[in-house]
Amino acid sequence: MQISGKEIIEAASLLGAGIAMGLGAIGPGIGEGFAAGKACEGIARNPNEAGLLTRTMLIGQAVSESTGIYSLVIALLLIFVV
Amino acid sequence: MEEIGKIVKITFHLFGYNITVNTETIIMSWIIMAFLMILSLILYKKASLIPNTLQTIIEPLIEGFDKLVKDTLETDDRKYYALITALFIFLFLCNIIGIIPGCEEPTKDLNTPLGYGIMGFVIAHYSGIKVKGLKKYLSEYLQPFFIMAPLNLIGELAKIVSISFRLFGNIMGGSIIIIVVSHLVHNLVLPPFLYAFFGLFDGTIQAFVFAMLTLVYITLQVKE
Repeated sequence: MQISGKEIIEAASLLGAGIAMGLGAIGPGIGEGFAAGKACEGIARNPNEAGLLTRTMLIGQAVSESTGIYSLVIALLLIFVV
Repeated sequence: MEEIGKIVKITFHLFGYNITVNTETIIMSWIIMAFLMILSLILYKKASLIPNTLQTIIEPLIEGFDKLVKDTLETDDRKYYALITALFIFLFLCNIIGIIPGCEEPTKDLNTPLGYGIMGFVIAHYSGIKVKGLKKYLSEYLQPFFIMAPLNLIGELAKIVSISFRLFGNIMGGSIIIIVVSHLVHNLVLPPFLYAFFGLFDGTIQAFVFAMLTLVYITLQVKE
């Protein structure tokens, strides 16, 4: 069976999508864990402000998640468009 | 599994151009807009000093946003409060409409977040020019040195991309995960919980983040 150039491109784009998503998920994972840990420290020091701290933490996590979302968009483009 | 990434659209010719209309996105947006208009008309007509059930639910939301916008902009001016609140409520309904069977989120299509991102960008820069004057506005691009002007320009344009791709990627990724996992478990027990997480929880947070970032961009331009 002969492997054509188009099949190699398809395989490479699927591989690239997997690598992009896997590497892109490292940064947001570390960042969100850091934010959650600091929020836990804050709540332990000042339990009265737990609601405000949780809200701020969620917003910060959603913003720091954006690099992971960009890699998700790139992976989707590689799978469905290439 | 075929429905992943599918967008319902109509293409027609007009004056020699191909015009594509994403019908599902537009119809869902119109449904949400009509719902919001009818709701606000009902609330406006029925508003009273002794609140009924609906008024009790809506009033803390409106008051909270009023306080938030006042605290962030540090003025008593209510110019931007209506914009931010309407943006949040509209995007919130856009994100959670996917939990109704047969409805698609309008934000799943990149055109919707990109449109609102560009709208926020234009409003922020227009109010910046209006408050500071054109000369001072332009001189801010030359900070700290005049060599940095291209970088500042790219930084401003990247805000549109980052704010719109964040919303689009979250909703699109959530809906793809729902389709894939539902397929894997043969639509048994799991999908309702996935809808609760990706539809309700993530949708609320992302709508709030979008509104907050638009407010922050306006604040950066308006404040000294």
